[in-house]
Amino acid sequence: MKTFELKVLTCDRTFYDGPCEKLLFPATDGQMEILADHEQMTASIEIGEMKFKTPDSDEWQVAVVSKGLVEVDRNQVLLIAFSAERPEEIDEFRAQEALERAQEKLINQKSIVEYHVNQANLARALARLKTAGKYKAK
Amino acid sequence: MASAKEIQDRIRGIKDTRKITRAMYMISSIKMQKARQKLADTEPYFFALQDQISSILYHFPEIDSRYFENGTNRNPNGKKAIVVMSSDKGMAGAYNHNIMKAAEDYVKDFEPGSYEFYCIGELGRQYLKFRGFPIADFEFTATNPSVHRARVIMEILVNKYHDGELSEIDVIYTRSVNSMKSVIEYHPLLPLRPHEFIKNDASEDAQYKSLTRDMNYSVEGDQDAVSNLYSGDFFIWPNPHHVLHQLVYNYVAGYIYGTLVEATASEENARMSAMKSATDNAEKMLAELSTQYNRVRQAAITQEITEIAAGAQALKRAKKKAVR
Repeated sequence: MKTFELKVLTCDRTFYDGPCEKLLFPATDGQMEILADHEQMTASIEIGEMKFKTPDSDEWQVAVVSKGLVEVDRNQVLLIAFSAERPEEIDEFRAQEALERAQEKLINQKSIVEYHVNQANLARALARLKTAGKYKAK
Repeated sequence: MASAKEIQDRIRGIKDTRKITRAMYMISSIKMQKARQKLADTEPYFFALQDQISSILYHFPEIDSRYFENGTNRNPNGKKAIVVMSSDKGMAGAYNHNIMKAAEDYVKDFEPGSYEFYCIGELGRQYLKFRGFPIADFEFTATNPSVHRARVIMEILVNKYHDGELSEIDVIYTRSVNSMKSVIEYHPLLPLRPHEFIKNDASEDAQYKSLTRDMNYSVEGDQDAVSNLYSGDFFIWPNPHHVLHQLVYNYVAGYIYGTLVEATASEENARMSAMKSATDNAEKMLAELSTQYNRVRQAAITQEITEIAAGAQALKRAKKKAVR
């Protein structure tokens, strides 16, 4: 299968840099997939699960990403997100705690600012738990 | 002159202190190396973000956003936030002193009430509070910078900016040029200055190229594509505003993370050199004191011998007298 170059940059590391066959990521209105020879594009990413397939493996590589963006330019894809975590890196216990904290805070939120912050925290915690649970069970 | 016992006690005390300063020196050097590594890890992300912002500005020069200096819907009457990065602990030479001086100098000409300090690090907060400067309710530390903390700080600041409570966000932090020299940096974080991104376009293009140089161009015969990176139609999803918004959030969080790491590295660097000179100084003092101790000891021995000799002589004389 034809490949393209994928580079995933996050705040604290270069998450992936190499060839890729297909890339799935959460866009603003649902999942978006990128294959080789995709048109030039810039799109924003929402908090959720991202998947990509490398030519040397049949397995999908999975990560939980936070907000960011994807730039496609002549078979070079640059994905910039604030953070990206593999399922095995997620501490389920911590994520569960964060989830409960965020839910609790949402109930007694004081301002609209806090509401947005808490909602983002909640979305992150949910995405982490979902992905971690799904891939750890196997 | 001090007695031998006193000098010995002093030597023991200095040796104990030297143990501590030496240990602190070691710890700081390890922490600094870690911070350096973190800084190197975050650089590609940061440059890529800068590049994306300039790319959007390039394609949508007419974009109107409150995050830019020339945005029409930003509130110019809000307060100015000054984020000051100091450390939580002392023993770092002039590190904290320098940054506090710089912060004070910075607000010298501002009208009272038009600005507020957002302190990261306990020492700076206490100092500025003591001096009666306006301090925002904002409790964070620069020690062990984490991605999470940077995100929380960003969310607080950017939301306040978004609501018009703040009209400007500036950062003051220490950057280490090399292991010997560090400088205080002032950086206006928000609103973004579009010309800064456009003006540097050429150099950022170069950065972008170096970032993507090792990627293979699988489109054949597209050699000159490298020279005009942003040619052709530009498709942006869902819209430029949304993407720009996302970029600004990421940019600010990335910048804050970068400065946190930079400040920690400088702090540890300052502590390292302070502890190095403390250890060196302790060694010098020990050398002096041991000379002094030897002298005192020698003096005591000499005196004893003189006394014994004198005593023996007196006894001899007394015996001679008795015989006669």
